[in-house]
Amino acid sequence: MKSKRTLLIRLAVVLVLIAIGAVMMVIGRGHTVYFDNVALDYNGTHYDALYKVTVYVKDKQVAKLYAKERGMATWIGQNFSMTLEVIETKGGDEEVHTIHVKLPYNMDGIVLNLPALLQGLPEEAYLKEFVSNVPEVPVEEEPGSSDEFDFGADF
Amino acid sequence: MKKEPKDNNWSPSKLNDEMNSVLSTPEASPLQMAQMSPLRRLVASFGLPRLIITAFLLLMFIAAPFTGSDFWTQVSNTINRFSWNAVLVLAMVPMIHSGCGLNFGLPLGIISGLLGATMAIEFGFTGPVSFFMAIVISTPIAIVLGMGYGWLLNKIKGGEMMIATYVGFSSVSFMCMMWLLLPYKSPTMVWGYAGKGLRTTISLEGFYDKVLANFLQINIGTLSIPTGTILFFALLAFLMWAFLHTKTGTAMTALGSNPAFAKAAGINIDKTRMLSVVISTWLAAVGILVYQQGFGFIQLYMAPFYMALPAVSAILIGGASVNKASIANVVIGTFLFQGMVTMTPTVMNSIIQMDMSEVIRVIVSQGMILYALTRKTKGGNN
Amino acid sequence: MKKKKTLRPEGNPIVRFIRNNTVPIMFVLICAVCIPLSGFSPSYLLNEIVTRMGRNIFLILCLLIPIMAGMGLNFGMTLGAMAGEIALIFVADWQIWGIPGVILAMILSIPFSILLGLLCGKLLNMSKGREMITSYIISFFINGLYQLVVLYMMGPIIPIKHFSIKLPRGYGIRNTVSLLNMRQVLDNALSVTIAGVKIPILTFAIIAVLCLFVTWFRKTKLGQDMRAVGQNMEVARAAGINVERTRLISIVISTVIAGFGMIIYLQNMGNLSTYSSHSQIGMFCIAALLVGGASVDKANIGNVFLGVILFHTMFIVAPSAGAKITGDSMIGEYFRVFISYGVITVALVMYEAKKRRAKSLAGHKLAQDQLTEDKEAAQ
Repeated sequence: MKSKRTLLIRLAVVLVLIAIGAVMMVIGRGHTVYFDNVALDYNGTHYDALYKVTVYVKDKQVAKLYAKERGMATWIGQNFSMTLEVIETKGGDEEVHTIHVKLPYNMDGIVLNLPALLQGLPEEAYLKEFVSNVPEVPVEEEPGSSDEFDFGADF
Repeated sequence: MKKEPKDNNWSPSKLNDEMNSVLSTPEASPLQMAQMSPLRRLVASFGLPRLIITAFLLLMFIAAPFTGSDFWTQVSNTINRFSWNAVLVLAMVPMIHSGCGLNFGLPLGIISGLLGATMAIEFGFTGPVSFFMAIVISTPIAIVLGMGYGWLLNKIKGGEMMIATYVGFSSVSFMCMMWLLLPYKSPTMVWGYAGKGLRTTISLEGFYDKVLANFLQINIGTLSIPTGTILFFALLAFLMWAFLHTKTGTAMTALGSNPAFAKAAGINIDKTRMLSVVISTWLAAVGILVYQQGFGFIQLYMAPFYMALPAVSAILIGGASVNKASIANVVIGTFLFQGMVTMTPTVMNSIIQMDMSEVIRVIVSQGMILYALTRKTKGGNN
Repeated sequence: MKKKKTLRPEGNPIVRFIRNNTVPIMFVLICAVCIPLSGFSPSYLLNEIVTRMGRNIFLILCLLIPIMAGMGLNFGMTLGAMAGEIALIFVADWQIWGIPGVILAMILSIPFSILLGLLCGKLLNMSKGREMITSYIISFFINGLYQLVVLYMMGPIIPIKHFSIKLPRGYGIRNTVSLLNMRQVLDNALSVTIAGVKIPILTFAIIAVLCLFVTWFRKTKLGQDMRAVGQNMEVARAAGINVERTRLISIVISTVIAGFGMIIYLQNMGNLSTYSSHSQIGMFCIAALLVGGASVDKANIGNVFLGVILFHTMFIVAPSAGAKITGDSMIGEYFRVFISYGVITVALVMYEAKKRRAKSLAGHKLAQDQLTEDKEAAQ
């Protein structure tokens, strides 16, 4: 029957749209990734910070970190990859590593500990969620602007 | 060779005709009415939305004492706001009667009033005199603008409402330019550092702030009634009522309710419509002055922009239709509308800790106009 | 008694051309005066215009379908804009960035647009003959509902994760929501710079697809039905067309397109003004369409393009031109507002006047025919 066919087509369209939406949600998830070049202790072992590490994301230099420094980059998607030029100790050789990290979906900000990452430690060592310790400054605003014609608005 | 004109079904020309039996008239024929129970008859004649709004308002009034806000202060506030707005709503009446529909072009009259007010202050009048001088100065401006507006409406019979809205908007934006350019010098009105161009809000202290409200004000405990303003409104309402019962006034009413009869009776349609527009514009000018004396400030620039809508929904809430409106409609409608505007914030705030009043006001007033616009017309050419 | 009107098309062709195209001609004149005054360089102007075209054309195209169906200027396109905004608020909260974010927002806006479009269409069906002012009031009404949802329900009832979007008091969305993470993603994806002018190819490709869709749509059965309904509802009904359903569909399609258009607009701006972005959209789009020579019952794609170029040129140069003439920069801003409203007023007035003239001409013709008939019968 014609109406049954129309119903099926409509259902199919809706399903396709939902599928596309779901895919978009996954591949479009944005994260802010922070890199810490900080010494850490894990399972009793102490890992030193690197002397100098330069971080390249998508072939662009994003950060040059000496010990105790933090850099950041934004990334879309779940499979984060970066290239590191590492000088482990002063006067040492430069090593190039390409690293892939799988980012957890639900975290907005992710902190990666570079020494731990380079040592191949498990995820719980090198990855943690970024929690802002800067208190949200509540900017007092009048909720819902008035009906006044908004002259600042550019059309 | 010109082809037959399309019979446009949307046509704004039909707008007026369609709007002709909106609201107020009972939704049922007399026979049906007789067969209904008294309750249903009440609902049918009063109109469901108005019943809902009245019930809502009663609820607010009842709830008010329990919310910690002083009942009598609330009542005073409502009466106050009523007194400010009543004349503006009254300005709707002449054009409704003459079949020009709802005066969405109210901003034109408001502008005349604003010009009168600012010029009165510029010429140095102060105190209560400035109020009357403002009226005196606005009058010729209102007449001229009203005549132009009326001439335009006569050229586009049928499409009045939509075009009136945009005429109103265009004139407000035009005046925005003028407020900056006109050579005002009075230090209370112009921007301090530039020395030219009017400020957006001008305080009326020392001029005619509360000039009517304080006249014969009645104070009983926390209840205060601005008798002067109400008397002023009553005077204007009485004059309007009297006018509508004169020969010209009756002709005007006939135009709106029964245009065919009016034409057959030899009434000069264009002149009568023009007269109604001029009266409406003048009332709007006075109306904004009354509003200002109650509010305490002159508001220029974009403030008059949307001022037609509350007046339109107030009179519709009061039971008017697009071609029939009475003074009672004005009073009831303004009271219900302003009551809702005043009571909702305080009551809602105390009950649910959220101030939704602005949003509720928008939804109710626009919803009311929508309801009026979407009624099925009785035997209309739909 | 008025003097007898001749039945030839009034006046010579030049007068007729001017009368039919008053608004665009007026605009060309205004622009011609203001452009040299404003002092902008041609490449700057060109760049701005191309950007604005990419930003706005999708939105304005949504107005074509209701005009085709005889429903006049769809002020209810604001509803589609609101649907798009709600979708964007969610996408921003879920932190979906880039082009996937834009696509997700568009998909998400569809159910909202359909819902609002159905509501709008039903109300317009209940108010046949006064669609324009009804859709105008509807946009205000739904704005109230939108504020109810966005200002009060988002947060407590509708979960929103990020505090940066919410107001400090804990519920309701802030006045501006930053869309930095999808700013201009469509424009930058495939852009070409010619002679210093950046042309966003992808955006224009999307616009081209919509134009093709509109053109194709006119030829489908549904499109033909709409045109029939637009010509004469009763005749269409007699021919078996479901008039109410056709009108409803035209509004729903228009609203969905408006939703997409708003998302394209906002991704270009990079910033969502939660409570004011949509309110002037309707008015500006309609003004632009009218400037392009469209009328309340006739509009085509050419009007859209011409209108955008003329209207936005005026929009860009007016403030500076005004400042040069009067020394006050605010004058130009008020001027362009005034012109926008003025142009709609003029277009509406001219439309009405033209209809009355056509009606009276038809009346005269009828009278003439009667006279000749009587004369023949008497012979």
